[in-house]
Amino acid sequence: MSFEELDHTADVLMRVRGATMSELFSDAGRAMFHVMYGPCEDRGIMRQITLDAEDLESLLIDYLSELLFIADVENIVLCTFAVDLQGTRLSVVARGEPFDPARHAGGALIKGISYFDLAIVKEKDAYVVDIIFDI
Amino acid sequence: MFEGINKIGDLEWEVPVGYVPDMRVPGRFFLSEALAETLEEGAVRQLANVATLPGIVKHSLAMPDIHWGYGFPIGGVAAFDMTEGVISPGGVGFDINCGVRLITTPLTEADIAGKIRELIEALFSVVPTGVGTKSSMRVSGKDLTEIMMDGARWAVERGLGIPGDLIQCEEEGAMPGADPDAVSAKARQRGMPQIGTLGGGNHFLEIQVAQEIVDPEAARAFGITEGQVCFMIHCGSRGLGHQVATDHLRILERALGKYRIRLPDRQLACAPIDSPEGRAYYGGMASAANYAWTNRQAIMHEARKVFARIFGIDYDDMRLIYDVAHNVAKFEHHDVDGASTEVCVHRKGATRAFGPGAPDIPSEYATVGQPVLIPGSMGTSSYLLRGTTIAMQKTWGSTCHGAGRVLSRSKAKKEFRGRELREQLAEEGIVVRAHRDAVLAEEAPDVYKPSHEVVRVVHETGISGIVARLEPLGVIKG
Repeated sequence: MSFEELDHTADVLMRVRGATMSELFSDAGRAMFHVMYGPCEDRGIMRQITLDAEDLESLLIDYLSELLFIADVENIVLCTFAVDLQGTRLSVVARGEPFDPARHAGGALIKGISYFDLAIVKEKDAYVVDIIFDI
Repeated sequence: MFEGINKIGDLEWEVPVGYVPDMRVPGRFFLSEALAETLEEGAVRQLANVATLPGIVKHSLAMPDIHWGYGFPIGGVAAFDMTEGVISPGGVGFDINCGVRLITTPLTEADIAGKIRELIEALFSVVPTGVGTKSSMRVSGKDLTEIMMDGARWAVERGLGIPGDLIQCEEEGAMPGADPDAVSAKARQRGMPQIGTLGGGNHFLEIQVAQEIVDPEAARAFGITEGQVCFMIHCGSRGLGHQVATDHLRILERALGKYRIRLPDRQLACAPIDSPEGRAYYGGMASAANYAWTNRQAIMHEARKVFARIFGIDYDDMRLIYDVAHNVAKFEHHDVDGASTEVCVHRKGATRAFGPGAPDIPSEYATVGQPVLIPGSMGTSSYLLRGTTIAMQKTWGSTCHGAGRVLSRSKAKKEFRGRELREQLAEEGIVVRAHRDAVLAEEAPDVYKPSHEVVRVVHETGISGIVARLEPLGVIKG
């Protein structure tokens, strides 16, 4: 559904909403890459990841940490995330483009994803989570 | 001040046991009334959360640059008993051994006038900065292992410095106990192409002038004089350190049940110091810390070469005053109830500030205490301070690390325009260079607490003493 940046003095705090849990994971990926690189298009880069964890919050952290690792070592920027979530088993096909300094150097370098106050909450029509990215 | 917090001195506050459930010791922090206006309740809660950790000794502490982080507050300091206590990545942060070094040159402001832009452009072209940049250094897997074991010495042995540099670093540029086997393949993969790079955010390389000498005796010992041109490097362990923190946080989080540790915040995940998980984190963290010292050494080497080329000065005449870590956990001996006792001191956004006569500081600084480097925000004063005996007694030999933000990056971007800031700083005679102007808005001077007020508090409480004030002339940003 969406993501928005909330106020946080030291780091970047993103509120992510998804109509379904899968959508929440997809939007969390988009939110993180938005913070790091700004604009991004699908230009033929594709990566697949599969993860499992003991609960959804840990799975969300593992998933975002994995995306962060891939972006850092492969110098790629990802923008769409097709998420298949079965319980706490996650399979994601992410698409994007090579890092382009002219277009992608406008973001903030994320050092890590914090567990602090991380809780996925079910609201009336959406799942919501606030994620603190250490930058 | 928030309800439930007691004022116990002019600039000292206590968070009593009970402020949050399960606190084992009180919290204490140092803050002036002026700075108290910017204190977040979340930061105090985090300070109190740290006090719930097993084996914490005396107090959960925070320096006057305290602010809301994750796990420990930024500015947080805590020591843990070696038997009963724990070690936690939440008390170090993702950027392991983020730190600062300060180097003097034989130049005066007049010597470099008219050449600052050329200097900044030259530095910007040789020191990779910002998101997605890679180093020009090529290191092998074997090199990386040696870097994690030997730290800055690895660089000096390859000509990226002079032997005298090593003694001028905290831990002489290499912490003992590094265990490269506790560093994952992922962390190694991230670290290899990034050695010698500055990174992003608030990291910088700044040209400064020693504008005012406040403590002539200590300034003499540190080798700095009024009007002298210096440069300061602020950066950390890059993707390698971030990955070590991420990996071990997960390992420790999974082990909480095994050690029956209950936490108010999962980011405080920890394990007993002498457990397999605790030892592995320490070994990985020390490896990343050593990588960070190599990183700052390599950047300093490039900067020295640029200065030597542009101004015709000798490489060896640019002397490293000191290099300090401000995100690290270390085993240190401190006085506990009259007995010298080994404890595990965590400093997260806090600087070691060992006083006169303390072990582990260079002999030439023994009478005045170790140099402490406090970087200002962009365009504002940085400070050279010295460690004190009071710091040894009150704060496990620790002090503040910087100014501390008061305005979020999103608000900063709304309130400031990077280009205007760049032009405004240029009018003040400060040349700023970054890949993009937006980073300048996020790091605008007004988004930080005034560094002079933070430094005044540590000076007046006696946990460190001001030696010199440094003013910026030019800066390259991440």
